[in-house]
Amino acid sequence: MKTRNRLLGPLALVMAGLLALAGCSSSGGKQAEEDAAGAGAGTADTPRLKVAMITHAVPGDTFWDILRKGAQAAAAKDNIELVYSANPDAGKQANLVQNAIDQNVDGIAVTLAKPDALTDVVRKAQDAGIPVVGFNSGLNEWKEAGLLGYFGQDETVAGEAFGRRLNEEGAKHVLCVIQEQGHVALEARCAGVKKAFQGKAEILYVNGADMPSVQSTIQAKLQQDAGIDYIATLGAPFALAAVQSASDAGSAAKIATFDTNKDLVQAIKDGDVQFAVDQQPYLQGYLAVDAIWLYQHNGNYMGGREEPVLTGPAFITKDNIDQIAEFAANGTR
Amino acid sequence: MTQVHPAPAPPTPRREHTQVSRKSWSKRFFGRPEVGSLMGAVAIFVMFYAIADPFRTPGAQSTVLYASSTIGIVTVGVCLLMIGGEFDLSAGVGVTTSALAASMFAFQLSLNVWVGVVFALLVSLGIGLFNGFVLTRTKLPSFLVTLATFLMLQGLNLAMTKLVTGNVATNSISDMDGFDSAKAIFASSVQIGSVSVKITVFWWLLFVAVATWVLLRTKVGNWIFAVGGKADSARAVGVPVNRTKIGLFMTVGFTAWFAGMHKLFAFNTVQSGEGVGQELIFIAAAVVGGCLLTGGYGSAIGAAIGAFIFGMTGQGIVFANWNPDWYMFFVGITLLVATLLNLWVRNRAARR
Amino acid sequence: MTDNHTPVVELDGVGKSYGNIRALDQVSLAVHENQVTCILGDNGAGKSTLIKIVSGLHGYDEGSYRVDGVPVRFTSPRDALDRGIATVYQDLAVVPLMPVWRNFFLGSEITTGTWPLRRLDVGTMRATTDTELKKMGIDLPDVEQPIGTLSGGQRQCVAIARAIHFGARVLILDEPTAALGVKQSGVVLKYIAAARDAGLAVIFITHNPHHAFLVGDHFTVLQHGRIELDAARADLTLDDLTHHMAGGAELDTLRHELDRAGGPGPQPQLSGT
Repeated sequence: MKTRNRLLGPLALVMAGLLALAGCSSSGGKQAEEDAAGAGAGTADTPRLKVAMITHAVPGDTFWDILRKGAQAAAAKDNIELVYSANPDAGKQANLVQNAIDQNVDGIAVTLAKPDALTDVVRKAQDAGIPVVGFNSGLNEWKEAGLLGYFGQDETVAGEAFGRRLNEEGAKHVLCVIQEQGHVALEARCAGVKKAFQGKAEILYVNGADMPSVQSTIQAKLQQDAGIDYIATLGAPFALAAVQSASDAGSAAKIATFDTNKDLVQAIKDGDVQFAVDQQPYLQGYLAVDAIWLYQHNGNYMGGREEPVLTGPAFITKDNIDQIAEFAANGTR
Repeated sequence: MTQVHPAPAPPTPRREHTQVSRKSWSKRFFGRPEVGSLMGAVAIFVMFYAIADPFRTPGAQSTVLYASSTIGIVTVGVCLLMIGGEFDLSAGVGVTTSALAASMFAFQLSLNVWVGVVFALLVSLGIGLFNGFVLTRTKLPSFLVTLATFLMLQGLNLAMTKLVTGNVATNSISDMDGFDSAKAIFASSVQIGSVSVKITVFWWLLFVAVATWVLLRTKVGNWIFAVGGKADSARAVGVPVNRTKIGLFMTVGFTAWFAGMHKLFAFNTVQSGEGVGQELIFIAAAVVGGCLLTGGYGSAIGAAIGAFIFGMTGQGIVFANWNPDWYMFFVGITLLVATLLNLWVRNRAARR
Repeated sequence: MTDNHTPVVELDGVGKSYGNIRALDQVSLAVHENQVTCILGDNGAGKSTLIKIVSGLHGYDEGSYRVDGVPVRFTSPRDALDRGIATVYQDLAVVPLMPVWRNFFLGSEITTGTWPLRRLDVGTMRATTDTELKKMGIDLPDVEQPIGTLSGGQRQCVAIARAIHFGARVLILDEPTAALGVKQSGVVLKYIAAARDAGLAVIFITHNPHHAFLVGDHFTVLQHGRIELDAARADLTLDDLTHHMAGGAELDTLRHELDRAGGPGPQPQLSGT
């Protein structure tokens, strides 16, 4: 009894120490932020602004990391203090927007992943005189919500472009791998592929949180249906897993993917992956922040407040890979 | 040890016969914790074998075994821990933590990857030690302690990766010294006839065999059953309850490390957000395999069969080409049926 | 029936508190070989605390504890076991789901072979368990059956047999007859006597003075954590014992007050309740 109580004190101290450590790592994040800023050109001499960027990102996703780097680069150039926050849960994301309103920021950039949950709080921001831009998600809703502009990719358009590209490549039977069942943007991509693709298109769901299971599930599908000659994945890591699945299953299926990362660029170079459709997340983050700066200092609307500014689909193939590889190594493509 | 026998003449040679004959072979067989899950596995196997042509090929079986082994390796540790009466919710992200630690340590310091592998082992064992230490000192339920660890690791995985690499995934280590030998150990394939079988399948079987031997034939195994069955009684007869529990958490750490190394050397890079949700799969596999949620009962072979049921169901649905929209539903219902069958067999065995 | 030998177990002025609650106060006890020392008392009298201290499960705050005349301070039951002090708890310290033989040898397993192949000597342990239990008159069809399936008396005997088998010199029995019927209690009491005759020092905790008087050589009655009575068998009768068990001096006071009060007299004053 006594020993237990005696040890509780030191234990609490250790925990406090761990907390302090966590504090250190957040200052490290700032360090990384400054590094990203260093990549930019000069800095605007306009008065300092504070902009909140609020996304529905899942922590640890490469895509969102690149997007955030773009936003940081724009913020550094435009003399903007960027406050980045994210939560995949729509209700919590709305709370983060409210939080930004309470901070009285000069602009908000937000992803409308689940528009219904966000329109009310966006309206509140506008009532408080804070300009709001949309990016990445909410292509069909941004105008109605009264946002200043929208920067992103039309997932269906991207999917259709992907499908047409597969037609050109001469594919007959494509497998579209979705790593998160019920994710609207991912489903839209595969739907777009299905629509434009002239051969047979099938969907396969995998557990994106566990790579070995992604690999074995794709492998099982290839063993089940030897007719599959193309695999379309919706994220770079899954394309790399699919490369292994195809080789383990002894299948000749080729692989193409949405989105990129460093290793995928190498895989395209090596010819393991045929092509990638890039929605240019760096550009989305950059433009969203820059749009607020332009509006605040010059009253400009990107896209004229009428049309969305599309950042994709941009195809990355063996032809243009060398140029992109350089930037991918920095973690910005 | 001096044996003092009071050697009392038994007051009356009153023998309390509850049953004259020895237990029959079948009763013994059906009394084993893994029998129910074995029935479930056989039933699911027969079902997929009957309805899915591609499932019948050796290549497909190899895929099923691979999927089972990646679940099964960690389930061995989780199952031992559950028999010892505790949970570990941090096992899923612990796998990712280990892979990240090995990759970043070796890459950032430009060391032979084996140094990273050893470092990761220390990290994983350290996490187990931390879980076990906090649990035994504070007497908090393991659900709470390991949930806290789970959340902390989830944050650390992301924050440390971002801090060290500037990105949220690690750099590829495939061109570094020692990669090939490490890949041979953790992520290679073995050709058996015309089929290529992943090496994890053999490691898995080895771990299950060792765990079974430890459980049934060693002192430590006796202690594991005892601390899970009734910790106070075990303590009263001199079983080192705390050390046993800490050791069990470290065993989970070891299996998480192994799975993490497989992940790293099979895919060269690691995404820092992976692994969330896997801890429940491990626990579910152990429960399907006959481990009691309350501790003190279970078997490593049962847990392996549980992992096999999970692996087989996940892949079998794809082989059967069922509507993918229903994938999760099918996985859920198969597990429910397997568990109910398990329960039914055990009840019948008890009534025999 | 005290002798001049050094007591095997001796407590001197021992006290123990749990927070504000005083569980034991100035308790002294001398346990000799070849004797059954009975510790009696109501629920909450401090019997459990006393044996937890003797068996090494709990520490104590005041006084001294000597084994064979040497002061000791146990940090775990293992320490006590190493000195031959074995306890059979009220809940028997068995793990219900585990087989009888595994329970019998739990914490003192017999192993064979060298590390890393050191393993349980299952055959020997099963055979030993079977033999030891047969000596107790228990013939199980299978020592592999979970101990939870045995009757209360059987489990009690398994636990006692276990303690004796592992070389106990001092056997602490915590309420061994509490949950048993008359017949099964008889069996247990006979083993207590047999253990004493074999030279063991037995500490028999009970709240049943009849059971205690059948086998006891020395009696200690606890009340509210203090010693109410400390007497050898020769110095008292069953009636005395029952009287002290029921409250002793406190009971006398109460009777006196009730006798005097022919009608609605002064309120009876019950001290210490």
